[in-house]
Amino acid sequence: MAIASAAMAAATLFPGIIFPNEQLKGLPDGDDIKWKKSPCRFCGVGCGLLIGVQKGKAVAVKGDPASEVNKGLCCVKGYHSVLAIYGKDRLTKPLIRRNGKLEPATMKEALDLVASKMKENIAKHGKDSVAIYGSGQWTIPDGYVASKFMKGVIGTNNLEANARLCMASAVTGFMTSFGMDEPMGCYEDIDHADVFVMWGNNMAEMHPVLFSRMLDQRLRRNGVKIIDFATRTTRTSMASDRSILFKPQTDLAVANAICYEILKNNWHNRGFLQKHCVFKSGKTNIGYGLEDKFQFKDEPKDMTLEQFKAFLEDYRPEKVEKLSGVSAKDIKYMASLYGDPNKKVMSLWCMGPNQHTRGTWMNNLIYNIHLLTGKISTPGNSPFSLTGQPSACGTVREVGTLTHALPYGTVDNEKAREKAAKIWGVPVTNISPKPTYHTVEMFRALDRGDIKFIWIQTTNPFVSMPKLKRYREGAKKDDRFVVVSDVYPTPTTDVADVVLPAAMWIEREGMFGNSERRTQHFEKMLEPQGEAFSDAWQMIEVARRMGYEKYFPWTKENHVEKIWEEYYKFHEGDKHGIAPYEVLKKESGVVWPYVNGKSTKWRYHAKYDPAAKGDSFDFYGKPDGKAWIWVRPYEPPAESPDNDYPFWLNTGRVLEHWHTGSMTRRVAVLHQAMPHSYAELHPNDASRLGVKTGDKVKLTSRRGSLVLPASVNERGLPTEGQVFVPFFDESLLINELTLDSFCPISREPDYKKCAVKVEKA
Amino acid sequence: MKRKSSYFIIGLCVALLASAVFIFLAALRESKRPADTDYMQTGDTPSIPAEAGVFRRLAMALQYQKMPEGGRDLRTYYENRAYPGAPPLIPHPLVSEKGIGGKTCLQCHENGGYTEQFKAFAPVTPHPELLNCRQCHVPKTTEGLFANSNFTKPDPPVLGQSAMPGSPPVIPHTLQLRENCLACHAGPAAPKAIKVSHPERVNCRQCHVPARLDDLFEKPLMEDASTWTRPVSPSQRNGTQLDEKEVSAIGEWVRENNQ
Amino acid sequence: MPIKSYLALACENQLEALRTEVLALGCEVIPAENKDVLIVISETKNEEEDKALLEKLNSMKNLRHLTLVSAFAE
Repeated sequence: MAIASAAMAAATLFPGIIFPNEQLKGLPDGDDIKWKKSPCRFCGVGCGLLIGVQKGKAVAVKGDPASEVNKGLCCVKGYHSVLAIYGKDRLTKPLIRRNGKLEPATMKEALDLVASKMKENIAKHGKDSVAIYGSGQWTIPDGYVASKFMKGVIGTNNLEANARLCMASAVTGFMTSFGMDEPMGCYEDIDHADVFVMWGNNMAEMHPVLFSRMLDQRLRRNGVKIIDFATRTTRTSMASDRSILFKPQTDLAVANAICYEILKNNWHNRGFLQKHCVFKSGKTNIGYGLEDKFQFKDEPKDMTLEQFKAFLEDYRPEKVEKLSGVSAKDIKYMASLYGDPNKKVMSLWCMGPNQHTRGTWMNNLIYNIHLLTGKISTPGNSPFSLTGQPSACGTVREVGTLTHALPYGTVDNEKAREKAAKIWGVPVTNISPKPTYHTVEMFRALDRGDIKFIWIQTTNPFVSMPKLKRYREGAKKDDRFVVVSDVYPTPTTDVADVVLPAAMWIEREGMFGNSERRTQHFEKMLEPQGEAFSDAWQMIEVARRMGYEKYFPWTKENHVEKIWEEYYKFHEGDKHGIAPYEVLKKESGVVWPYVNGKSTKWRYHAKYDPAAKGDSFDFYGKPDGKAWIWVRPYEPPAESPDNDYPFWLNTGRVLEHWHTGSMTRRVAVLHQAMPHSYAELHPNDASRLGVKTGDKVKLTSRRGSLVLPASVNERGLPTEGQVFVPFFDESLLINELTLDSFCPISREPDYKKCAVKVEKA
Repeated sequence: MKRKSSYFIIGLCVALLASAVFIFLAALRESKRPADTDYMQTGDTPSIPAEAGVFRRLAMALQYQKMPEGGRDLRTYYENRAYPGAPPLIPHPLVSEKGIGGKTCLQCHENGGYTEQFKAFAPVTPHPELLNCRQCHVPKTTEGLFANSNFTKPDPPVLGQSAMPGSPPVIPHTLQLRENCLACHAGPAAPKAIKVSHPERVNCRQCHVPARLDDLFEKPLMEDASTWTRPVSPSQRNGTQLDEKEVSAIGEWVRENNQ
Repeated sequence: MPIKSYLALACENQLEALRTEVLALGCEVIPAENKDVLIVISETKNEEEDKALLEKLNSMKNLRHLTLVSAFAE
């Protein structure tokens, strides 16, 4: 005891010094909680958590102070995340539908059935009749196995993930502007920026940990300004220095007006533009993807600065004022913040610009502003695209679990196919050069019958798809076979023919990749419940049953490490190098490009990025090393309010719940704080309808209708003529009303705009 | 080395530790390599400096003794949390759903005081610098559940754990976000069972040290100590140790007083 | 039987060397993970031995600074 106390006294004397815990045991406490590091299960911020494990159960959570993401602070979901593991109704046994009812079955039966159905459909209807639909909540190894299994081994590009519904526009935005996906900067930009502009982004609720970091910076440093540019007044607006409201879809026009002002006042960075940028224009009137088998391909054309200026003439602030509802004064104010050479500016956005029928354009336009002013790729100057899921970046975007993608490059690129075939040990002819179905089209194909078999993992599309009814009914059709791997019963498992119980988060080993290119490893801390095991291992079991054992020669114990070693080969090099397995295990997170044992915090600048040539900027994603400034006009949304349906419907999240709520609603604290969905109304609209908070209102769109309680001037305050409804509630499915229009370039649906009518119910 | 249970404390001399801290820090700072970048590096500075709040409510220290007993008990304190250490729920109705920080919650919870509306003393937050309160603290608007849970709430830590009879109890909880002791352990809103008997001695961690190992992760060096930074000579180094006689004298005293 | 713990700060990049030195003197050592610092725990039979050990500790080649943290005796 004395030795332990002596050691303890020494160890605690200096808070800045870390000593290994194992050697400091034997304290008077008798407390047997062990703390282990993991990224949070929920959003794309990727907070580092320390999870307290006691007697084989997770019992507590605290923020990991060693994590550069959150530095010890979490949000209410993170602090209660481990409770989501212990819902009484966890799926612990496989279920098979017999005579219309899901009944318990053995794991062997279930896996045999899945494998035989896959084989049968491939034999009868061809490779492209089977599909896997995964998720940005897949760990990186899950996504990797899915990609190898579908694209390499079976030979179909029928692989998509729900990140299509949230991050596809961010990806195409990056690809079209810079030629490489994911942000150039990192969260540390928050500690350097003087101005923060949030584009349609309620960060106080959706990315609260990063928002608190911004508030903290405003307290510590003089002159830090936070601007909330949104369609709805929220907590974020309340905390901001300026809240500027715009009419839905007109962010396109306002962004162009900001560019107009910057050029008009000569606030643009001439040297930077000349050396590092080119101007391009693309197609216009590009449609909304409402019809089946919609196709679109953009054709970039060269432009000059003069032509760009001429184009912007239509976007004088005075002209945009009427369209957008944003005063010319406010537009000029925003432009002056971006234009001030002495201010470092960070733009932040997430679903506002992404879930947008012109989502790719909106992303391009924000980059335009940063490129015109040269405020990019340096500490504090950062257009930063935030992410909604823990591994939308790590798994879906980096592994490439989308129909057109491979772990490195795209399927239509011969070199990329050769590289993948070589690493996977498959004939290159196995990999099809033609993308098949993006998410919306994949579910349309399931409805049409072009796809007969779909395996859905770690996501809940029959709550989250837009225009739900069509896709749910399609999945229920007679000769469709739906397999769902999940941890709880959901509206998606309700339509399944086979349900496989999955190991959740820290019940298995894995890695997530967050918004700032940071890869974070977590070990297996708990035993999975019942017969559950990981999504990756479920696919491996099925692949083996189909005769593909040799491509997945790993054991249940070592597969994560082995997969990482194989995946590592795809990204070798200084542009996307990832950290080796041992490093990931040790560090609380590693940012790629990981070069010579170091994370790269800012890409495309020689000072911070070893891959950048020269002595300053090098946008090496594009062949000529130059970033593209795009001419992207304002175009109206697919559906706007009219006489029959006079309100805008906007959907989104709330702080307490994450996505479709299948996890967070099983956490008592979170459910009791936010037990059901509601419809936010402007007080003027509410009084016109004779509705007050708690009264029932009926929302009706051309797709469906829903009755739910009204919320007047509570958490959020939509502008007049707009209703806002959160989508987490599976018993109040707002996506029955939403429209499946999407951005033709990214194919990401717009969940933020459609027309509804509102009645007192 | 063998472990023996019947050792008595000899030294843990405060003055010695204090001087040791300064000299040691000085030496440690000296060995730090200068940053080679032109921008201020912030990556290593946590936004929640774990030591920053230790002395925060010091000005109130003497008044605490005169304050009334608020009648809050430890049972309700723990009932209001999903597990010991979890962010507490908001147990009362709210003024505004959109409200943030200074204009709402902190009005009462920054400094506490009696609120007529709830007939209670408002508990004081140990981290008033964090403004987005609702990021972690949520109200309970219903008693119902979406689904039942198998989560088992761990027992709260045992009070009064000390290494030896009479020695100061250790801190049984983590300090993260709770580094300001007096916020929860003094004043009328403090649960009676954990109220400190001597709030006027504000340097709590002079005698009370964290018991749990998990507090040993990285925290920033105490920046304020830099004012004392100076080179260390070998004579100064030797000067920081008690001589053997002093050590045994203190040991005698401790032994006598504990029997 | 005095038991003492010290914090020892190693000369730059000499943590490993210092550790070897301390171990050679028969003390228990816990190195820090992020700084050139060791916890040294000594257990000696009597005061004389303890004093001798302290002298040896103080004369170690790779030691930059040594400070006593706590001491226990029977």
